[in-house]
Amino acid sequence: MSATVFLFYFLSVLALGSAIMVVVSRNPVHSVLWLIATFFAISGHYILMNAQFIGIVNLIVYAGAIMVLFLFVIMLMNMNADSEPKKNKWLKLAGVVSGGCLLLVMVAALKSAEVKGQLVQMKDGDIGLIANLGKALFTDFVVPFEIASVLFLSAMVGTVVIGKKGD
Amino acid sequence: MNAIVISAIWGVIMMFSGAFSKNLKTVRALSIVGIALLFVVNLLELYGTHLFTVDTKGMLQFDSFGLLFNAIAIGSTAVYFLLNGRDMEKVGLHVAEYYALIFFVLCGISIASSFSSLLMLFLAIEIISIPLYILTGADKRNLKSNEASLKYFLMGAFSTGIMLMGICLIFGAKGSFSIEQIALGDGTLTPMVGAGLLLLMFSLAFKVSAAPFHFWTPDVYDGAPTVFTSFMATIVKAGLFIAFIKLFGDAFGELHGQWQTLIAIITAATLIIGNLTAVFQQSVKRMLAYSSIAQAGFMLFSLVALNGMGREGLLYYTLAYSIPTIGIFAILVRMKDYTFEGFNGLAKHQPVLAAVTSIFLLSLAGIPATAGFMGKFYMLSAAIQNGHVMWLVIIGIICAAISVYYYFRVIQAMYFKEGDAQELETSSFHKGLLVLMAAFVIFIGIQPQWLLNQLYTFFS
Repeated sequence: MSATVFLFYFLSVLALGSAIMVVVSRNPVHSVLWLIATFFAISGHYILMNAQFIGIVNLIVYAGAIMVLFLFVIMLMNMNADSEPKKNKWLKLAGVVSGGCLLLVMVAALKSAEVKGQLVQMKDGDIGLIANLGKALFTDFVVPFEIASVLFLSAMVGTVVIGKKGD
Repeated sequence: MNAIVISAIWGVIMMFSGAFSKNLKTVRALSIVGIALLFVVNLLELYGTHLFTVDTKGMLQFDSFGLLFNAIAIGSTAVYFLLNGRDMEKVGLHVAEYYALIFFVLCGISIASSFSSLLMLFLAIEIISIPLYILTGADKRNLKSNEASLKYFLMGAFSTGIMLMGICLIFGAKGSFSIEQIALGDGTLTPMVGAGLLLLMFSLAFKVSAAPFHFWTPDVYDGAPTVFTSFMATIVKAGLFIAFIKLFGDAFGELHGQWQTLIAIITAATLIIGNLTAVFQQSVKRMLAYSSIAQAGFMLFSLVALNGMGREGLLYYTLAYSIPTIGIFAILVRMKDYTFEGFNGLAKHQPVLAAVTSIFLLSLAGIPATAGFMGKFYMLSAAIQNGHVMWLVIIGIICAAISVYYYFRVIQAMYFKEGDAQELETSSFHKGLLVLMAAFVIFIGIQPQWLLNQLYTFFS
């Protein structure tokens, strides 16, 4: 077993395990901390695929900014294991059934998927390097890049409309 | 490209108009100028004048079908602005921003009618959705509006996640975002494409409020300020339908036989749930929310049939559904009481308003000689032409018959019940515009070939 393969399995187990812990933890703060572990594991995957830029951005944006936001919200709402509302038994059952159905479809889809054998290039793919990524972003993908600005602008306008005092 | 760029720029102009002018009249006038300009540049593109030459690397493709749809959407928005301009000012203080958001939505709709890459589809859907979350919560002091906005945002974000997962799986299977690349294949549904297709179908069905993904619709449409419900239920819904039919027609058209039954079941469920639940509503606004679900069921026929008639029918249906619904909502805004009782005896002292409301309701119910009848006719005949889904046609006809009941309850309240319906002052300009709209509904109802001839000239 080479180091890359070992790392891959290690990170996969870490990512899946902490993702499961996010869902089963009763304390919201623990959930958030497990989520951070998940993001670190996923960033590790990106770096394994030689996509350093997206790995670092994933850490900065998700594990950094968004998780701090999460923690603040949890702190402000003063949530803990005791204040968690009791959930309806039938609702839980419905959730398990629908989630299970999705899992079944996914497993069925990926079991005989046509990508078998042509896995991601582990070492020599270099599209994830920041120079190549920048080039692709400003040549091939410049139209969606510019149009995304309309999306962000409308989100910003919305923040002002919702957040502004006075009415 | 014209419509996309101009609508984005005009959105920014509307934002600045709010900062530099405290006079609401200026803002309103600017919005009318903007929408008229947008209509003109879109027509120019239809006749081959491209103001902007952008190499989109095949991510956007402008065909006459999409541009024609843009023309209908922009035209309906112009009518919407003229009718609802003053009522929008009553919602809150940020009038200029509301207009800006609506222009951004139009930008999203123009992308949705011309995308040829899943990336652009995602951007289009998001540009349409995010302004709507805000417009839904625009009435900040109203708890129902807040609740509707939050509900819409959470459910919408979740369905966007599902859509991204679908796009991911399809990218994994085909190695490209391009619709043409995805359409290539030997016509067999591989498991990974199948899973991606299902997820995409579910998320888009959520966006157009098709059953069983419709649960957000009545609450959101009921909670949102009535002027914005009118916009969401008509123009936006039609724009999302264009994205839906473009994606499934262009990318998965070859596989049609394999997902037709599923979409037919979704259509049947939408029709039955929408129509049956609408029967039990007490509030006209909520009834219209369910009626919009039911009408979405009819629009889904074009997706089930997926033929030329279905596509043209969808354009026609967009107009035949949007104009009357915008009209009814514009009248509903002026009513003090949104229940059916609130309409009691309206015909006595507002004969004009009652008459145009009746025409709009008759059109929605699909009574012959109105646009709604021809719209339903095209949809049903598209399905008959397809030939595989006769059971669905029968369900459609039964549901159209059921819909007559709840639309006629309003007419009955207006004409045959005693009472004093309370409504706000309606200016003669508004009345004139409503009468014009009603005349248009009847005109394209008895002369559908006029509109369709226009379509055929462009298609050829």
